[in-house]
This record gives sequence, C-alpha cells and structure tokens, in this order.
Amino acid sequence: MNRPLIAIGGVTAAALLATGTTIGGFSTAAAQPGDYSTIPVSPNVITDSAAYTAAAPVLDPNGQPGVTTVYTHRDNTRQITNTILVLPDPQAATAALSQIQSGLGNQVANGKTQPAAVGTGGTVVTGLSPDGTKSVSVLLFTEGNAAGSIEFEGPKNDSVPLDMVVDYGQKQDTAIKDSLTS
Amino acid sequence: MRKIAMAVVAGAILSGSLSSAQTATAAQVTHDANVTVYPQAPRPTVQGLDCAGGTGNMGCGPGWFWRDGWRGFACYPC
Repeated sequence: MNRPLIAIGGVTAAALLATGTTIGGFSTAAAQPGDYSTIPVSPNVITDSAAYTAAAPVLDPNGQPGVTTVYTHRDNTRQITNTILVLPDPQAATAALSQIQSGLGNQVANGKTQPAAVGTGGTVVTGLSPDGTKSVSVLLFTEGNAAGSIEFEGPKNDSVPLDMVVDYGQKQDTAIKDSLTS
Repeated sequence: MRKIAMAVVAGAILSGSLSSAQTATAAQVTHDANVTVYPQAPRPTVQGLDCAGGTGNMGCGPGWFWRDGWRGFACYPC
C-alpha cells in the first residue's frame, strides 16, 4: 500500500465552500480591493481537514502589500506561515522573492535548496532553525505579480515531507491565479 | 466315472491356488517397512511488520505508521 492518506478533507472543504461557510481558514468571501485576506489557502485542504487552525490574517506584513496567515497544528508542534505579497508587476515579485531568499540564512541553518514544481521559480530550502531545535522548510515562488513564501516549522526529527510542500504550494499557486486574475 | 475324477482334480487345483494367495494388505506392510518417511517441515510464514512492531494500524500496512503528523491523522512511512 503506497501512502494511503485519508482524503476526506477535500470533500469537506468542497461542501463548506459550496455553502459559503468559513471554518478554520476556509474562506469564500470576495476580496475587496487591497484586501488579500482570502488568498491564503488553508493546509486543511490537504490534510484530514481539521489538523490546522488559522490565526487572523495579517494584512500588509512589514508594510508590504499582501497578507500573512499562520496555521497551527492541533498538536502545537507544527506551524505553517503563509505569506503572499502582491506587487506591481512580475519583476517586482521576483525581486521581492530574491530578497526573501537572501535573508533565509537567519531562518534556516544549513539549508539545502532544491527546485519545486510550484508557480515560477519554485524553490524549497530545508534545514534546521538557527538554534537547531526545529526543522524548517521554506517554499518560495512567484505567480505573476505575486510572491509566495510558505514556511513550515516542526519537530527537529520530523521535517515536512517535500510532497506535501509541493502539494500545498500548488494549491496556493492556483488560489493566487484565481484571485488576482478575477 | 472319468468325469467325476476330472471334476475332483479341477476342484483341488482351484482350491489350492486360492489358499496360497497372499493378501494385499500383508504385501503392503512388507513394502512400507522399507520406506523412510520424513515429517513435513512447517511452511515458513512471512508477515510484514510496521514500525511499531505490529501488523499495521488503520490498514497502513508494513512500513507505514498511523499518527497525527503534517497531514493530520494519516499513514506515514516509518
């Protein structure tokens, strides 16, 4: 049996979306201009649908247009920080991504970089937290004029699987496309 | 008289051959005593174990483990 994962999350998510309900980060409200709070995708869409709880989204993190949403696992040992910056054009998005990547040394110690099939220039940097107590993986990508940075922080000996990073990143990429082109 | 004598002779021959015939069972017993019979070895059974030493919880199967991980409750490799 190969990786039999429970797939009830998608069905639940679809049902909630169909009814316009907002639970644990599933949000269907139409974004107002400049309000990007609905762009982040809950990781519950690729889990058992109840593993993560979303904190309130932070708009314009560090003064940059966009949104950051933090999702915490129910066991409190895993956290996903999803940041989407919406910039004037794709060049600005690429520049922002490069700036984020150059500063990753402060977040990821001994990071290994590998490509990821997410958006444009998808990259995953995997390593440990600077104090060596946690695993840290950061997915970086651009989609049009948006720059995505998703950080996965968890137990030292249980780093996030790459396939989950890609799976989640692709769903986030699709959500950005849908949000910014509609 | 001659017919009676022939009948007696034929009867004697017939009864003699029957009385000297060996029974099948007796013959087999003699043969089996020369055959060495080995006890059948037990068939080896192969059972995969999950990383907890069991046979897999929630149908995860060998090499997988049911726990609450990055994807929530699911089967994860050991």
